[in-house]
Amino acid sequence: MKKYKQPSTIGRFGEFGGMYVSETLMPLLLDLDKSYKKIQKDKKFKKELNDLFKNYVGRPSSLHYAKNLSKYINGPKIYFKRDELNHTGAHKINNCLGQILLAKKMGKTRIIAETGAGQHGVATATVCALFGLPCYIYMGSKDIERQKPNVFRMKLLGATIIPVESGSKSLKDAMNEALRDWIKNVRDTFYIIGSTAGPHPYPKMVRDFQSVIGKEAREQILKVEKKLPDYLIACVGGGSNAMGLFYPFLNDKNVKIIGVEAAGKGAKTEETAATMTSGTPGILHGSYSYVLQDNDGQIKEAHSISAGLDYPGVGPEHSYLKDIKRVKYFGITDKEALEAFQTCSKLEGIIPALEPSHALAYLIKAFKNKHKNKVVILNLCGRGDKDLFTAAKAIGFDADE
Amino acid sequence: MQMNNLDSLPKKKILSLFMTCGFPTLNQSKKVFNEMLSHQPDIIEFGLPFSDPMADGPIIQEANKLALRSKLSTQQSLNLIKELSKSKNNTSFVIMCYLNTVRKFGLNKFIKNIKSIVDGIIIVDLPFEEEDEIKKLLSKNNIHLIKLISPMTDKKRSQKLLKNSKGFIYYISATGITGSNKLDYKEINKNVKSIKRMSSVPVLVGFGIKSKKDVIDISKKTNADGVIIGSALIQKYFDIKMDFNKYLKSLKKFIQEVKI
Ligand SMILES: Cc1ncc(COP(=O)(O)O)c(C=O)c1O
Repeated sequence: MKKYKQPSTIGRFGEFGGMYVSETLMPLLLDLDKSYKKIQKDKKFKKELNDLFKNYVGRPSSLHYAKNLSKYINGPKIYFKRDELNHTGAHKINNCLGQILLAKKMGKTRIIAETGAGQHGVATATVCALFGLPCYIYMGSKDIERQKPNVFRMKLLGATIIPVESGSKSLKDAMNEALRDWIKNVRDTFYIIGSTAGPHPYPKMVRDFQSVIGKEAREQILKVEKKLPDYLIACVGGGSNAMGLFYPFLNDKNVKIIGVEAAGKGAKTEETAATMTSGTPGILHGSYSYVLQDNDGQIKEAHSISAGLDYPGVGPEHSYLKDIKRVKYFGITDKEALEAFQTCSKLEGIIPALEPSHALAYLIKAFKNKHKNKVVILNLCGRGDKDLFTAAKAIGFDADE
Repeated sequence: MQMNNLDSLPKKKILSLFMTCGFPTLNQSKKVFNEMLSHQPDIIEFGLPFSDPMADGPIIQEANKLALRSKLSTQQSLNLIKELSKSKNNTSFVIMCYLNTVRKFGLNKFIKNIKSIVDGIIIVDLPFEEEDEIKKLLSKNNIHLIKLISPMTDKKRSQKLLKNSKGFIYYISATGITGSNKLDYKEINKNVKSIKRMSSVPVLVGFGIKSKKDVIDISKKTNADGVIIGSALIQKYFDIKMDFNKYLKSLKKFIQEVKI
């Protein structure tokens, strides 16, 4: 088998990806690409990042054998890669540390970011506090409403939150505004994108920083199972936790890989975020990839109960992996995710975020009484604290009482 | 081959007016463009509305939103431009849009629709690195692909970008989105001069030009060949609290003013 080697030097994953931005941003992206290439060879940078991973984030995250859930499903042996144990409660911090170190190296003095669920916002605010840089977070007003605990967290960490009122008032629009901020403040500002989306070099860079997840998981599973897993499962919003887990396994032909998207009220309805199931190739946020769009190429609003998956686009590498059939993608509805959220909490004593609850739901649904003797690693990429109010409301529990 | 109006732009004080198609509604949009055409500006830029206009500021964003309220299609915008081209005379027609609009419509079909009607096209998010295929097709049909240069574009990159440029060069006066505030004449002049050393086509300054004074200052204090006004034309609509008849009048007055 040919070794997986993506993207090309101009940021193409097959035909996907690229840099579709205005000339005000092009020079910045080229500069970023150059700087990123440089630090990839920098041993000191690697050491600094690894130290932070170990002592600040608490890496490596553990690989937990979810015995009760495995028994309940009566199928494969299920392992959770527990990136929800990371400092700040999700995988997002891995990427933020990498990018802020790079920002420092490039002499940037102001940090901006977009956030949906608030996890990336919290992670960015955290690293800004650690490195003493001013932090501006763009967040849709709809998301501010449904992710209140994270809004307060960001404020405590010293970040300024800029509510976004345009469009659907969620992640897509927050990203538009962050890009506009960057165009306006080209000289001093570093934009920390939170997922494997956006123009090159972001999809590659974010994947690389997140692939610590897959590298660890690979070592850990070889130690306990003495073999590679049969399946990997992760949820896909923009796709960073999924790429982080998948990337180090892409050359292992026998490892089957599954990405789970948020189907909202159903992949065939208008209220969905299942980009690869229901979308078509198009350009959003500087990258050519699957998007939810109408016949005129107008981007549609996405819908998901999970703010972190509520995005009408997806990282270009996922589009490529879908088209070459290396990864299979499926949709899970709000309702299914909410059920899995509860099942996991009760069975494993782990309250997952609503995002990985989508991956859990797929696992429960598709693997029930099947694939016995197989080994699965599921990326439990975030914890559910931030979702308690949303979930309580959806389940019909009065959390204020 | 048919003439391209952009090849016979005047030498100085070129005026280009930008307006979003279908704003505020499709029918009213016709009247807006007819008003603009009646002043015979050198160039009219037709903005094709897009749901996610990444490089545009709040005013043009709002215009896009209003235009899309009634599900304006790309075909309707192109039909509007076609209809207006009957009274085009010497005015150059330029389309300004985002790449997804063209891709989804189909590049060949798009060109077929605008051939012999439109003289130039600005695809905001199509960088020089990705333009080859599109540029070839456009050039075959005598449509110029207009280049944007920003203050961040360094000399080496400008040289590559400006090679074989046609029509005019759109110099983005401020690092910013459309409708931004500050104009730094010194910097503009320095950069425009540097562009003019590399290319012989006219250089127009856009982003942030709001008044007659700005237009005169650009003409006096810089070496630019003209200006592009967009957000300021649209802003008038919101200034008069969206009274359409008043808007047409204030548009007339404003365009008369900026024609120096
Ligand atoms: C816990 C968690 N998982 C997943 C995501 C989705 O992002 P991605 O697909 O980049 O991993 C988010 C985004 O906010 C998140 O907070």
